[in-house]
Amino acid sequence: MIKINSLSKEYVMGDNKLLALNDVTITINKGEFVSIMGSSGSGKSTLMNIIGCLDVPSSGDYFFRDNNISSYNSNKLAELRNKDIGFVFQNFNLLPRLNALENVILPLLYSGKNLKERNKLALEALEGVGLSDRINHRPNQLSGGQQQRVSIARAIAGSPKLILADEPTGALDSKTSLEIMKILNDLNSKGITIVLVTHENDIAKYGSRIIKMKDGKIIEDKKNVTN
Amino acid sequence: MSLTDLIYLSQKSLRSNILRSVLTSLGIIIGVSSVITMISIGSGARQEVEEQIERFGSNNLILRSQSSSSRGVSMGANSVNTLTLKDMEALKEELPAISAIAPRVSLSTQIVANGNNWLTSVTGTTNDHFNLSNWNFELGRKFQEDELNKGSRVAVIGKTVQKNLFGTDSPIDEVIRINKVPFTIIGLLEAKGGTVWADLDDTIVVPLKTAKQRLVGKKFPGDQIRSMTINVSSTELLFKTEKDIDTMMRKLHKISANGNPDFVIRNYAQFLNARQESSRVMSILLATVAGISLIVGGIGIMNIMLVTVTERTKEIGVCMSVGAKKRDILLQFLIESLMISLIGGFIGIALGLGVIFGVSEYFNWKMSLDYTSLVLSFVFSSSIGIIFGFYPARKASNLNPIDALRYE
Repeated sequence: MIKINSLSKEYVMGDNKLLALNDVTITINKGEFVSIMGSSGSGKSTLMNIIGCLDVPSSGDYFFRDNNISSYNSNKLAELRNKDIGFVFQNFNLLPRLNALENVILPLLYSGKNLKERNKLALEALEGVGLSDRINHRPNQLSGGQQQRVSIARAIAGSPKLILADEPTGALDSKTSLEIMKILNDLNSKGITIVLVTHENDIAKYGSRIIKMKDGKIIEDKKNVTN
Repeated sequence: MSLTDLIYLSQKSLRSNILRSVLTSLGIIIGVSSVITMISIGSGARQEVEEQIERFGSNNLILRSQSSSSRGVSMGANSVNTLTLKDMEALKEELPAISAIAPRVSLSTQIVANGNNWLTSVTGTTNDHFNLSNWNFELGRKFQEDELNKGSRVAVIGKTVQKNLFGTDSPIDEVIRINKVPFTIIGLLEAKGGTVWADLDDTIVVPLKTAKQRLVGKKFPGDQIRSMTINVSSTELLFKTEKDIDTMMRKLHKISANGNPDFVIRNYAQFLNARQESSRVMSILLATVAGISLIVGGIGIMNIMLVTVTERTKEIGVCMSVGAKKRDILLQFLIESLMISLIGGFIGIALGLGVIFGVSEYFNWKMSLDYTSLVLSFVFSSSIGIIFGFYPARKASNLNPIDALRYE
């Protein structure tokens, strides 16, 4: 599903050059649940942003389902994010003015689905995360766990192939974290590829494969046998 | 993304800060209301001038006698009548540009009819009076040739006189007494309405000869008359003819080119032009206000939109992460600024209508509401919204997704 060849990302900050990713090569297969671990500054978020087409690499190749993404313009990247990739963020990133249902509908608006279809898809997605009774609530009327479930519903509403979760439990207590991880696990068992970025061992162990990063390089990549 | 969805999202974010949205559109509000008021004053004045030209007849000059103020001592108005029918004949003969002249004598007097009293002005003239001043007959007829020649006691009355003496009844063939002299009414004039100066319909017209014989013989002895309405065959010749009449009259009355004349020539066009000029000045003033406030309003919108884009950078990042294209972001912010300016346009139109109504009620000015001005206001305000909203919207759409998402 994802093939990355000697990918590098360089940030220029004044006179300093920071190499966030240093010659990373990795392949992620369809249906995998990959946990990427590492301390802050290890390059794990940069790698994920590039996988999610939010950021572009400085050098190297990135193939998403055998398409070379490096040649995509911003419109094609937006389309890819819209149709094939779902994001779950640490701080939920819901739009405060919109209610739960409208937040979930948002990506469907951009994909140009008609009113009937997008309402149906959004309601199904909210039902999938167990929030059918909260669809008219605004984000500030929901608890952290509920907000994260809305954002998962938003990620899955367009039936993506890949879900990218950046510290999805970072702002949640441990009980709620378990609920969220269970939802992600269920999605994975339905065949959706999941890439999870975390620095917590407890969370990383949900993955079927754990990748450890340090200083922009992959230092360990192995199957998770405890699972 | 469809337009309705974009509009839905835009109104959602505008409504989250209504006060700011309305304050932002203040410049547009003032601008649009000035535009509407300006156009209304302008077209109202133009209409009034046109109506009055219509009432008085275009291409008319009024020649009237004037007491000469020799050696700084005025002899008092109306004290001397130096104009004569001879002057009139001479003018007619010598100046081919003159197509007709209506002579006039007049007095203000008490009228009695039907047991009612009414004080009005009586004019003695010829049928040219009706033609030159655009009078139409509601009932009855003009004077006949022999009535004019014999000095018959017949009269044509205006609407106001009818109303006060006869109510709504037909006055034709009724007898009225002017200075105790009985006259038979043969015609009723159509209403012209009032002007700033006088009620034009408050009038009685009798044949010139009758008036001189029976009513104003002492005031206008011999062939003296009060004034004449001179019709010039074309507008282009108006000014030249005015000069020619002046020269001619000086010759007839033996007044030197720089001496004080015993007559005065009035030109309605001049009079109306002054009125038009003052409303033009007013319009220019308002146009300046409108122009400045529309530009300031536009800059205000741009300013607030730039703030909004900065405030919502993270939100823009979120939208981009779920698949918003540059175009979607651009359109959303453009529609927001368009909506702000249209709100301003709406309020401005309402305010402008209020001002127009207030001014026309309070000052009794003629203000005509021009529907094109409403359309113009919409075009103005929406183009300002788009022009000044474009830069912020483009700035938003050019954000890098990850930078926008990470913005705190």
